Amino acid sequence: MIIIEAILLIPLAVAVACFFLPHRRTLEASALLGTGALFIIALMLGIDVLNNGPVQYSYWYVDELSAFMLFIITFVALMVVIYSVSYIGHDYEEREIDLRQFRSYYLMVQLFLLTMLLVVVCNNLGIMWVAIEGTTLASAFLVGFYEKDTSVEAAWKYLVICSLGIALALFGIVLTYASSIEVLGASSSALEWTTLRSIAPELDPTYLRLAFILIMVGYGTKVGLAPMHTWLPDAHSEAPSPISALLSAVLLNCAFYGILRFFIITELCVPGFATTLMLIFGLLSMALAAAFIIAAKDYKRLLAYSSIEHMGIISLGFGLGGYIGIFGALVQMFSHAMTKCLLFFGAGNILQKYNTKSMDEVRGVISVMPVTGALLLLGALAITGSPPFSIFIGEVAILQAGLSNEEYLVSGLYLALLVVIFAAFMYHISRMVFGKTTEGVTKGDAGPISLIPMLLLLGIILVIGVFLPEPFTDMVEQVAGIFPGGRT
Amino acid sequence: MNEQALTGVINGLAAFILLTAFVMVSHNRMNQLVRTFAIQSIALGAFAFAVAYYTGSDHIYVIAVLTIVLKGIVIPQFLKYTIDKIHVRKEVEPLVGIPLSLLLCAGLVMVAYYVAEPIIAGADAVTRNTLAISVAVVLIGFFLMITRRKAMSEIIALLVIENGIFLGAISITYGMPLIVEIGIFFDVLVAVLIMGLFAFRINQTFETLDTTFMRRLKD
Repeated sequence: MIIIEAILLIPLAVAVACFFLPHRRTLEASALLGTGALFIIALMLGIDVLNNGPVQYSYWYVDELSAFMLFIITFVALMVVIYSVSYIGHDYEEREIDLRQFRSYYLMVQLFLLTMLLVVVCNNLGIMWVAIEGTTLASAFLVGFYEKDTSVEAAWKYLVICSLGIALALFGIVLTYASSIEVLGASSSALEWTTLRSIAPELDPTYLRLAFILIMVGYGTKVGLAPMHTWLPDAHSEAPSPISALLSAVLLNCAFYGILRFFIITELCVPGFATTLMLIFGLLSMALAAAFIIAAKDYKRLLAYSSIEHMGIISLGFGLGGYIGIFGALVQMFSHAMTKCLLFFGAGNILQKYNTKSMDEVRGVISVMPVTGALLLLGALAITGSPPFSIFIGEVAILQAGLSNEEYLVSGLYLALLVVIFAAFMYHISRMVFGKTTEGVTKGDAGPISLIPMLLLLGIILVIGVFLPEPFTDMVEQVAGIFPGGRT
Repeated sequence: MNEQALTGVINGLAAFILLTAFVMVSHNRMNQLVRTFAIQSIALGAFAFAVAYYTGSDHIYVIAVLTIVLKGIVIPQFLKYTIDKIHVRKEVEPLVGIPLSLLLCAGLVMVAYYVAEPIIAGADAVTRNTLAISVAVVLIGFFLMITRRKAMSEIIALLVIENGIFLGAISITYGMPLIVEIGIFFDVLVAVLIMGLFAFRINQTFETLDTTFMRRLKD
């Protein structure tokens, strides 16, 4: 079995190739080919894991949860690379960026991808930390890609705040290691997730509780949970749109994956502790996001706050727990990734047409760019949880989990916040989509290369929302089975 | 060396590391800050050597050498190079005055002892004081981060926090698995390089390293 190494080597090889390739088209082709191959291999590995159980050898461990994440990462990455051909190509044609920047974009995307893949395939929680810190370092250049004053500011904020958070998480890992030392001694397998899970009930609960708080705050910074989210809107609005999609759809989920690994161990050792923290952070994030969504002025920041909201919903789902709560949270993770990717692509098309991020200056998208406008509107309906899109299923499942746990206060707040966010979000988006067209904007939609991935993403969330296909529910059910209390 | 003398050395070095953190709070010039950071890292390396000798575990020796070489020599040299290259005013310009800063940091040390109390109650003699000290160093690092708003001092504050965590890791668990430690060193090194590059960029775009100028992005 060398399939996991292959998953890590492909982005590395493409990154090296990007360094040497001389032309725009060859760079794009190598990125497309590499990411496409990556997606296929990850899919094969995922199917193998779902049928035959977890794969574990040397430093690697891929179980159903990792396979689920691998699918999201590689699929979104493929969409992003396709979309980049249109978006970054447009910037290049407009001479906003030169060939050096063009090349470094493709190179850094692949390195960013590599670090995120490493997060989900390694068994050792310490190496996972190294990889999560790696994602910050690799993506900082992408956030500051345009080298303007605002993007440098966003990148610096991102670097400093996330490095601080990650430093706290490192302390959490030290304490997790300490909690195992009485059972295992100072062995090098003591930070391996599989080992820790098998001895979880014997771990030292004092250390582990403290460790989980630090991990939750530390990795939570990268997830964008309130009140550690301050870097997120800046980074998402300043990064090029395909990168915003990658950050929101994949990076946040990757950091959440980091929390989930510790969540499982902590729940096995001290039941009820980690879930309470998840509930609190979840509700707090939703409430904060609601306030900022109402007041939003910049549409990329609007989408960023919506990401904070959805990370809150996911956190709430895991916090409520039980099969139905975990099922809802996982569906939410998947659907948010697909839908937010679609919305950021739409935002990218609008940005390149209107040349502004301010919502007040964007009107009548539907008559200027009919396809983008329609997709944006449908995406907005999907992200706010309207049926028949898949986020609706996730949100209803989480509500059901709240009601069946008799958490009426939590469920009530959750529902109220969802309604407020729906109203505010749709108000903003419909003002942009309809209305009298902004003057000085020429009609004409973005090219088909940018519309195809958007249509594909919309198709996925629609099919899952309407039919809830069996392979999908089987997969989610298997992933939920890893969590304590997640079996039907 | 007998055991008592050795634990004395270990505790003494830990106390010295805390002292250097206080000295850093009192600095008002950037290159003083870098120099004291280098001294702190070398003390941390020496601390790791002492613990390695005390426990007899080989991999802590490797950590000790890496700490001295990377954090004691390479990173400070790089920071010094960056500061020289960027011709800006080299004062730290703290937001909170130095006497008040020192007083607040003394309070943070007490908080650290209070926080570490329940954990160290059952621990053995070597780690008893060092865990509290490591928490104190981390908190002082955070304090530096909040009150010193220049890009270079933010990098150094981050490194001080990292030093505090390393001190904690060595004292509670006698170091983490070697592969993890090496990964962490690699990350720290790359992080400093990247932040140094961004410091250049901040200097180019804002013509200052003062990050309080960066207030354009808000809602």
